[in-house]
Amino acid sequence: MTGLADLYLQQLKTGIATMLQYRASLVIWLIGNVLEPLIYLVVWTTVSRSTSGTVGGYGTRDFAAYYIVLMLVNQMTFSWVMYEFDYRIREGTFSADLLHPIHPIHADIAENLSSKAVSLPFMIAAAAGLTLLFHPAFNFSWAAAAAFVPALVLAFLVRFLVDWTVALAAFWTTRVTAINQIHYMAVLFFSGQIAPLTVLPRPLQIVANILPFRWTVGFPVELLLGRLTAAQIGTGLAIQAAWLLAGTLLVKYAWRVSVKRYSAVGA
Amino acid sequence: MNFLRLLWVFLRVGVMGEAAYPANFLAHLVDSALELGTALAGLALIFAHTSTLGGWGPDELVALIGVYFLLGGVIGLVIQPGMEQLTEAVRDGTLDFTLAKPEDAQLLVSVWRVEIWKMIDVGLGLVVLGIGLARLGQRVGVAEVAAFAAALVAGAIIVYSFWLILATTAFWLVRVENILVIFQSVYEAGRWPVSIYPGWLRFALTFLVPVAFAITVPAQALAGRLTLAVLGGAWAFAVVLFAAARLFWRIGVRHYSGASS
Amino acid sequence: MAHDASEPFKDTRQVPRRQGRSLQFRPRPHYTKAVETTPVIQVRDLKKTYVVTEREPGLRAALSSLVHRRKSHVPAVDGISFELAPGEIVGFLGPNGAGKTTTLKMLSGLLHPTSGQVQVLGFTPSRRERAFLRQITLVMGQRNQLVWDIPAADTFELDRAIYRIPAADYRKTLDELVALLELGPLLGKPVRNLSLGERMKCEIAASLLHRPTVVFLDEPTIGLDVTMQRRIRDFIAEYSCRHGATVLLTSHYMADVEALAKRVIVIHHGQLLFDGDLAALVQRFTAHKTIVVQLKDCAADMGSYGEVVSCEDGRSTLRVPKAETARVTGRILADLPVIDLTVEDPPIEEVIEQVFARGAA
Repeated sequence: MTGLADLYLQQLKTGIATMLQYRASLVIWLIGNVLEPLIYLVVWTTVSRSTSGTVGGYGTRDFAAYYIVLMLVNQMTFSWVMYEFDYRIREGTFSADLLHPIHPIHADIAENLSSKAVSLPFMIAAAAGLTLLFHPAFNFSWAAAAAFVPALVLAFLVRFLVDWTVALAAFWTTRVTAINQIHYMAVLFFSGQIAPLTVLPRPLQIVANILPFRWTVGFPVELLLGRLTAAQIGTGLAIQAAWLLAGTLLVKYAWRVSVKRYSAVGA
Repeated sequence: MNFLRLLWVFLRVGVMGEAAYPANFLAHLVDSALELGTALAGLALIFAHTSTLGGWGPDELVALIGVYFLLGGVIGLVIQPGMEQLTEAVRDGTLDFTLAKPEDAQLLVSVWRVEIWKMIDVGLGLVVLGIGLARLGQRVGVAEVAAFAAALVAGAIIVYSFWLILATTAFWLVRVENILVIFQSVYEAGRWPVSIYPGWLRFALTFLVPVAFAITVPAQALAGRLTLAVLGGAWAFAVVLFAAARLFWRIGVRHYSGASS
Repeated sequence: MAHDASEPFKDTRQVPRRQGRSLQFRPRPHYTKAVETTPVIQVRDLKKTYVVTEREPGLRAALSSLVHRRKSHVPAVDGISFELAPGEIVGFLGPNGAGKTTTLKMLSGLLHPTSGQVQVLGFTPSRRERAFLRQITLVMGQRNQLVWDIPAADTFELDRAIYRIPAADYRKTLDELVALLELGPLLGKPVRNLSLGERMKCEIAASLLHRPTVVFLDEPTIGLDVTMQRRIRDFIAEYSCRHGATVLLTSHYMADVEALAKRVIVIHHGQLLFDGDLAALVQRFTAHKTIVVQLKDCAADMGSYGEVVSCEDGRSTLRVPKAETARVTGRILADLPVIDLTVEDPPIEEVIEQVFARGAA
């Protein structure tokens, strides 16, 4: 186990150092990550202002709060592995990874964590700025905050595992962009990014509860905003844990068959 | 004109380069269709709850999305690939070949790469635009279409100049590191009319990363909201930005050639 | 009364201008003066200094460099002068970093000189006038201008459009290049499927489609195998001969220069060390000659005649100072049962090394 901890520490260090090298890319990436929820924030607050009541249970200031928290949670759960795998296979770097005695997912998780470490200060500053500009209605409670921490960690793990499994498609086809696009769409709609899930029409909400995406972003956001009852929080955490288990098994299996195929086809 | 002649030459090269991969067509079509689907689904979601967004009706927003895809297609077709190749050429020195050719180097680097699949986006954009226009019906007359065309051309010139300025920084920055990506990130904001954004963001989207002139202004023309003043302003901005981009480019080339300033 | 000496040679079966002077107007060639050999390339006291910012590794140095940039001036080309006549093939020889590529870039207009004068075909290269660029071409060994994913033939078409080559000329030039370089089977393949040598041949062909009168080649054979190097050298010689193109070729391969250029310019640390005949170069910079003596077996005491470089199967290679050559040869012939004896110049690589070493001193 200490070997693993050591690996994570090293990866974190190199990951952070690398990221600081590419400062311009980093800044541009972060600007993009702030802009996307910001756009939806503006759109939905505009919609809300033009109606007299609430939209899906959200008032104008609720929308602002939702998207500011979403921005942070999204940043903390986001991964980009799908885009990497295609490159790795083409360049043949996977062969090197396969020689390592440790499952390659650990290096990816560590690299991902280093990106979060570097971006967190920036995002918090952005969140503070947006709070000043948009006057969101926050509804914090210590209980919610306490439940938020495990929810966020589980959300990150579930999202990462799902992403990693989808990324393995790169071993099976070269048309990964279509798969990534579909995956991106699903995330956009069903994790609560394009709109809070209660704004979606009823059938889509049901789908959202079945798919894992709600549990990767939407659930922690709603939790922190104080929009969930204790029972709902409990159920949610349980579902997240279930998805974690399912995700782990899925990754194990998918990885095994993918490696077999990779070695068969030729590295 | 020389520009069209060279564009045609490189377009043919672009087609030939991709002709070896016909399966790509379907894949790209699926990609673009999915993107369009997402955009339209988002619109549908919004208009399930309201009838106007910042004063814009659903038909006008459909037209806006049409412009978004159309211009996005043009950018992805020739502007973006060219500028990306420019930053690479500066880095690995193959720009020398271009500078040794007896044609204006700025012209060459602007047309030298054509990503032919983006024609799909252009096509989809036109289709959506057509649908939006059909729904807008009699509200769109000759004047509106003319204003639209004028605004679109001005927008394209502004976007091109902006990209060129971004790419020209490659002459000084050792690693341009995808500075070009900033446009793509911000372009997303153009899916919605710029008027809904708070003042400071509107300013940024108009003058810092000129998305407003690219998309909202032409769409305004179709919706009949474009004033002559704004259209004139767009053209003035286009002329100034183009001249500035050309000047900056020439300074960049002189720097690259080690000319003492 | 007298004919104008600067007028071009005319068919002078003309009516004599004055009576009684007819015999003086016999046709006489006087084109020694007629065709003025204006040098195609003129370089005078050319200098190029690069300004380089220096920085130590480490975080502290990185931070301090934000405030205070340490600059140093690196003279890449330090005052060189030479001229090329039309049709000459000149080899520009020097180790890495000597200033060869920098000079070439200044000649093709890609780089502005820091000081000095450059004239190519009467143009100032750095002004990059269209008429100038149409007449030159640049081939760089390590870099490609062929479009990667399409057959070379399609890139040729591209160049045709850019240089506005008339269709008939293009056909003729292309046919000739295809024949000379044996490009037939290569043209249809995407460039990325070609081997390095095949790619180089196509690169060279692409650069010559517009029939430039001045050809700049920067390390054209680098990375190629021996056979391909030879083929390309042969081609360049043939091409220059046929079309009278002026060729300036940089290389750090002696073989390139040996095979192609009668005249060689040696550059090191940005300065000209030598400009002239290759043979003269060898003459001037060798202090030694090599004597190869074939005996029945390796005699024990060859060392008394000169420095023994090697001895194998009775074949000894000796190095003797140039002045001693005749005397030592005589002694060997007198003292030993010589089967065969030859006197050679040292390999040219050695000569060049010595030139560089001398220049560095």
